[in-house]
Amino acid sequence: MRRILAAAALLTGALTARAQDAPPPPLSPQCEAPAVDIAAPAPLPHLAELLGKKPSSIRILAIGSSSTWGVGASSRKKAYPVLLRGILESALKGTKAEIINRGVSGEVAQTTAERLRTAVALDKPDLVLWQVGTNDALARVEAGDFEDTLRSTISWLKASDIDVMLVGLQYAPKFARDESYTVIRAALKQVAVEENVLYVNRFDAMQFIAKQQDAANLMSPDELHENDLGYECMAEHIGRAVIANLFVRRRDLPKPAPPAAQP
Amino acid sequence: MRTGGRQKNWPETAHARAKASKPSLGLTNSSYWLVKSRSLGAGGLGNARTRRLLGPRIKSAAFGAYRGLFRPAISRRRRVAELSGKNAAVHAKPAMRPPNEIDFWRGLALAVIFIDHVPGIVFEGYTLRVVAVSDAAEIFVFLAGWSLRLLVASRQVRDMSASHVVLRLESRAFTIFAAQIVITEIALAMTAAGAIYLENPLVLDWNNASAVFENPMEAHVGLVLLSHQLGYFDILPLYVVLMAGAPIAVLLDRRAPALVLPLSLAIYAATLATGANLPTWPVEGRWYFNPGAWQLNFTLGFMLAAKSGLGGYVRRHRLAVRLAGIPVLLAGLVAAHFGWSPDPLSLPEPRLFLMFDKTYATPARVLGLLSIVAVFGGCYKGFEPWAGPVTRFFSTMGRNSLNVFCVGSLLSLMAQFARFSLGGGAVIDTLVLISAVACMYVTAWLSEWRERAKA
Repeated sequence: MRRILAAAALLTGALTARAQDAPPPPLSPQCEAPAVDIAAPAPLPHLAELLGKKPSSIRILAIGSSSTWGVGASSRKKAYPVLLRGILESALKGTKAEIINRGVSGEVAQTTAERLRTAVALDKPDLVLWQVGTNDALARVEAGDFEDTLRSTISWLKASDIDVMLVGLQYAPKFARDESYTVIRAALKQVAVEENVLYVNRFDAMQFIAKQQDAANLMSPDELHENDLGYECMAEHIGRAVIANLFVRRRDLPKPAPPAAQP
Repeated sequence: MRTGGRQKNWPETAHARAKASKPSLGLTNSSYWLVKSRSLGAGGLGNARTRRLLGPRIKSAAFGAYRGLFRPAISRRRRVAELSGKNAAVHAKPAMRPPNEIDFWRGLALAVIFIDHVPGIVFEGYTLRVVAVSDAAEIFVFLAGWSLRLLVASRQVRDMSASHVVLRLESRAFTIFAAQIVITEIALAMTAAGAIYLENPLVLDWNNASAVFENPMEAHVGLVLLSHQLGYFDILPLYVVLMAGAPIAVLLDRRAPALVLPLSLAIYAATLATGANLPTWPVEGRWYFNPGAWQLNFTLGFMLAAKSGLGGYVRRHRLAVRLAGIPVLLAGLVAAHFGWSPDPLSLPEPRLFLMFDKTYATPARVLGLLSIVAVFGGCYKGFEPWAGPVTRFFSTMGRNSLNVFCVGSLLSLMAQFARFSLGGGAVIDTLVLISAVACMYVTAWLSEWRERAKA
């Protein structure tokens, strides 16, 4: 039931967006996965407002660990933030997307959260993409501590009028049934729902693709990190979620104002 | 702050230590430990009177003759000779300087840095960072600056020509650089070995190591250029830059000491105003310890250690400085206890001046450091008389800070592996801490043993 509601909500969101702006960027055939499994809708109020002003550029902080830095990609240019930039720029015609990569491999959420505050204060991004959870699961961080870290950082970002989008753990067959992995994934999803922030469920997306196709397609030989195609799909899913959810918030506004009208 | 003995006997580099440490009386290791200079005990702060009184007598006799000065109350094995450092150096030439305040705090900071580098260890709740806005890293860098002053004020360096000083300090910078390269390579090998042993390639991601295994071409260039730093292996790159830039401070201090701190503050202010920092590569980012900002902690140590100028002023107003430090220290304690820090985004630009940030050694953290120095500086002489073994233990570590730091860094990585495979918990963490600190002490002991063997 919840899933249907979410699907309906996403559809409304997507339709609203579609009515006024370019449609969300399409997924490559290899990356196809049901939209609702990838990202439940949640607002990106600050970014939506900013884009309404037709800015010449937006700034995104991509922070996280190895998947942000791009371990497993064949070159630095195949890391997801670089690919995402192309996707967003072609969707937001005329607006440049500057994506700052602050991925430090092996980092747990708490360490990233500390870095995040300084990075946000210095780089002043419009959107923070926080790829998080894998290292906490593998380092056996307590789910409660993990949730607290996420919550305090998300509330701080919200209070500071900066949109945040959580990018979840990757699907790796060897961790699919790992208890800690499952617990951290659930905690991440829980926080995203409670805080009403966008969450890209990388695990489900990758698992879906893996079931449809050969799992090895998305994974590098270490079976933990993604390969070029995996990062391509990651970037596509994130890009699609950003664009599709830009205007979700309008449903909550008393009278839907055109994005150009500013108070 | 110093005695002649400390200056004479200060040698910082292994080479110089070897040169200064030929024991003319065949002083063995065990007999060295009999030597404890009370006059040096307060970091050279006090007991000049004892020194004056004892100096001539000591000068006139061989080391063995001082046994008569041993206090009867002290056990035979740990007898204490009332030797001044100066005369001990002249006559006995022990391989290393006696325990003192700076070495003690440095050694303690090294132990605390070890704990801070093992995330999740139960003792992390008992380190300085829990009770203060700044942490052991600041203390370590401050004391490195202090040590630089002891070095340049030593008779050996004081008379050196400018070019000689530059050469001396740059060679020290190179030693630190070499140490960084060696421990990084060992850490990488440990990481790889851990991944093989635990059959978990994700270990290769730990501590920002993956670039080396993923992009070896770029990463190796980065390692040598110090633009690629493993997590927790990022203090020595700062130290290399500080030492490489140290001749500027030292030579300026010779000509115009009043300009050193203003220059340092100007660089600091420019760094914080612009947010400038050295980039990391191939991992996009910035240095964890921003040299432009952290040089202030180093320079403060350098200037406060001086007998004249700022250092002299502080010494003349010790009580006032201490009283002024107390409220700042307490404020830091409260802030750290409640985890309070100003919201960076609600601060006016330039934000870094008011933020609590370690990378940029922001003013709050510098004040935190200075309050610790103001309040606790000199208290060593209060506990030194009854904490002899402890002060000797940590001073030995502090005397060999580079070697101990290097081994400590590797031990902290080893501890990460131990905790990963065995799990944490009070028992394991206690074993980890005890064995690590013991290894760090043995490192210090071996370093000194090696120097004595050379002599």
